[in-house]
Amino acid sequence: MDFSVLISEFPTLTVDGIALGFIYVLIALGYTMVYGVLRLINFANSEVFMLGTFASILVATQIFSYTLESEPLTGFKLVYTMLAMLLGAMIISGVVSVLVEIVAYRRLRAVTSNRLTSLISAIGVSIFLAEGVRILTSSAPMGAPRILDKITLTTVFGADIRIDILLVIIFAIILLVCLDLFVNKSRLGKGIRAVSMDYDTAKLMGININKVISTTFLIGGLGTGAAAFFYVTVYEVTVFRIGFELGIAAFTAAVLGGIGNIRGAFAGGLALGLIEMYSSAVFGTQWKSITAFVILVLVLLFRPNGIFGESLQQARV
Amino acid sequence: MTNSVILELKDLTMQFGGVKALNQVNLSVKKGEICALIGPNGAGKTTVFNVVTGVYKPTSGEINFNGLSLKGKSRHRITKSGIARTFQNVRLFGDMTALENVLTATDVHNRSGLIGAMFTTPRSRREESASRKKAQEILEFIGIANRSDQLARNLPYGDQRRLEIARAMGTSPQLLLLDEPAAGFNPSEKKSLGELIVKIRNSGYTVLLIEHDMSLVMDISDRVAVLDFGEKIADDLPKLVQDNPKVIEAYLGVPADAS
Amino acid sequence: MAFNLRDFGANIWAKSNKWQRYLLALIFIIAAFSLPLLEKTFFNTPNTPFVSVLFYPIGLYTLMALGLNVVVGKSGLLDLGYVAFYAVGAYTAGLLGASLKLNTWEVMPLGIAFAMLSGLILGAAVLRLKGDYLAIVTLGFGEIIRITALNTPAIGASMGITNIANPPTTFGFKYDLDHPESYYWTILIMIIITIMAIRILSIRRPGRAWEAIRQDEDVAELMGVNIYKYKLWAFVFGAAVGGAAGVLFASESMFISPNIFKLEVSIFILAFVVFGGMGNIWGVILGAVLLSYIPERIRFISDARMLIFGLVLIIMMNLRPDGLLPRKKREKIKSDKKDS
Repeated sequence: MDFSVLISEFPTLTVDGIALGFIYVLIALGYTMVYGVLRLINFANSEVFMLGTFASILVATQIFSYTLESEPLTGFKLVYTMLAMLLGAMIISGVVSVLVEIVAYRRLRAVTSNRLTSLISAIGVSIFLAEGVRILTSSAPMGAPRILDKITLTTVFGADIRIDILLVIIFAIILLVCLDLFVNKSRLGKGIRAVSMDYDTAKLMGININKVISTTFLIGGLGTGAAAFFYVTVYEVTVFRIGFELGIAAFTAAVLGGIGNIRGAFAGGLALGLIEMYSSAVFGTQWKSITAFVILVLVLLFRPNGIFGESLQQARV
Repeated sequence: MTNSVILELKDLTMQFGGVKALNQVNLSVKKGEICALIGPNGAGKTTVFNVVTGVYKPTSGEINFNGLSLKGKSRHRITKSGIARTFQNVRLFGDMTALENVLTATDVHNRSGLIGAMFTTPRSRREESASRKKAQEILEFIGIANRSDQLARNLPYGDQRRLEIARAMGTSPQLLLLDEPAAGFNPSEKKSLGELIVKIRNSGYTVLLIEHDMSLVMDISDRVAVLDFGEKIADDLPKLVQDNPKVIEAYLGVPADAS
Repeated sequence: MAFNLRDFGANIWAKSNKWQRYLLALIFIIAAFSLPLLEKTFFNTPNTPFVSVLFYPIGLYTLMALGLNVVVGKSGLLDLGYVAFYAVGAYTAGLLGASLKLNTWEVMPLGIAFAMLSGLILGAAVLRLKGDYLAIVTLGFGEIIRITALNTPAIGASMGITNIANPPTTFGFKYDLDHPESYYWTILIMIIITIMAIRILSIRRPGRAWEAIRQDEDVAELMGVNIYKYKLWAFVFGAAVGGAAGVLFASESMFISPNIFKLEVSIFILAFVVFGGMGNIWGVILGAVLLSYIPERIRFISDARMLIFGLVLIIMMNLRPDGLLPRKKREKIKSDKKDS
């Protein structure tokens, strides 16, 4: 255990932790919203993320023909390239998310109320997608061209604020505000909230359940896709198993904030991003992967409701 | 000989967030009686069952069974001390046979567990055949012995309801809580169910019964307690409760089930 | 499906008297022991000797699938960290076997005991959780243990443990590279013992308790079933089986490392249980045998093994959630006979 790094690098770690945290928040939304409406852990969300990262990189390398040796871009070209990468990731992730619901979960909703069955199907999808990509990439990581020159814009309290980190934070906040507005103000958003609160009554009230659920998966997928773009921008690499690593972390974030609770996902994601950064400074990076698991287990054992969540453990008679 | 009180609820209150499902309910059930708990939908009747059986922890008040408090006891311990129930919607173990459903319940007082079963100890064998005998007897008593080897989910509705009662009886309870046992029955089925409940009581059980069918209630109950919005508004002999203006008002004059 | 394999088998069994049943069982057992003879036939596996495949993966995974079946199939507890018990057994054999100079048979009860203890501890911690939460927590624990082991030099860290001893020659059977069939027959004996244990538990109180817990645990509790205790027992039983498999695996493989005990393995075993028929012993065995054998037989499938398992999980859950051989009504027939 070494606290010296933590102390000396604290500002930078905090900024990086916030950026990572926002990425987690966006992925966590995919888990928390689906759990809210279906009471199902959307295991496949991790692979939705993974596919988004590949999509983002492929947009840059296949559509724009950039390579790892390419020079960073500037000006208008930079903007539209990044937008294209962002959209590419969001579209692929969104579409895959909706497809997953239709192929793997929809049938089960009608046929059984056994949660084990749906969960196993979800795991199956996750494995299938991850393995599919593994075979296609021969387990090799894929590097991203550096589109954005990672200059340090400014220094705040001793922390270097890089432009990519700043972009991630700004974009994420914009997306989250839009989502919050959508869920609270729009009709479809109200539908989502109704279904989360009381599935059967919502159905009886004439709410189109399939539409609501598909929308939920779509939004989750879009958010996850955005996270994928941000991840690729900051870390510049992806690999088939990235879904599992980040997926567990994001899921932990969702649970930490109280699964099913969108604002909880926000808090949980940021908290986890910071905790991971700090603990990897103190314990060393090889223990980083365990941080999320440890927090997950602790939360589930001692406070399964999370920080803001409802208790979902009641017996039903 | 005056009958002793077997179940006593004192100032029982059950609050869920802002909703008071039960508000200072007082109820005494005497040993050997058939007591009916009636009231409009949502009055809190099933909540009473849930609190007594330990599904919910009461917000305040006392629950005493044979003089001992049930508060804080775990559900399976409450069952072990002598209270068993059926459910508003049939909740049998569908993939098990009728006999096995009852066996799950008769197991409660057996001492041998996994080790005994694995090594086929004499006690385990003894308890197993005693349990089977008892379960078979209960099925005969209830009148569904012919169904003993059929899967519970394949039984006709009426037999499923009876099986639920049989299963509850498997735990050798002193007090049986029956939650709308006649729901969905036609008049003649209700009549024979009523006879069954009286037969059960006459064999030494106490019955607390939630029911909507007034004629069934009036027929077999020794006493009727009425709940409305979580409060007890009447507790008397059936005839007197029937004529009670407060009760009539609560129900808006629905005298008998029109099924 | 017009021909229901499960009912067909169940009917034959039901119509037989005691002697016929013993005969049938005997035939089955002899057939199982004779499987090594298939080495010279079409069934032979291209890259690894057939008899060795019979032990690993087929035999070991079948044994573990039986253990996990009690946890997931019978009791409905989704454990995604089952590989941990396998690891505990293997590491006990590796560590204690070397330091205490115990041979495989001597360390076997220890491996089982330690696995049961870890099952007890893990179970006590997590079994109050339900459904999905239980699944995630067990997954988390499994990974925590693996990563911790990976970073703990005292137990070999990523290098693992080497030079684990083979079992000694027992009753004239040698356990070495020239005699892979000894391992297979040993695991077969363990499988048979496990089957007998599961069957006797199934028709008695524990089996009923597990079934009740799986179907409706809230009601089970209200019918007097001590659900916490029986969930723990399911866990501990499953752990014992996993641990036993781990000990034998370590003795055969002579080398273990944390990378062998990946989440992947837990998912495999789960796939076998799901594919074969949750709760049904024969279904689970069939599932484990088929799914571990086929990738060995057809090489290109081997590379895509996980891919196919993922697909298997999706397809089975959507089309046939009860598995190949669904849970049976055999208890119905059993209850007619006196207890033996």
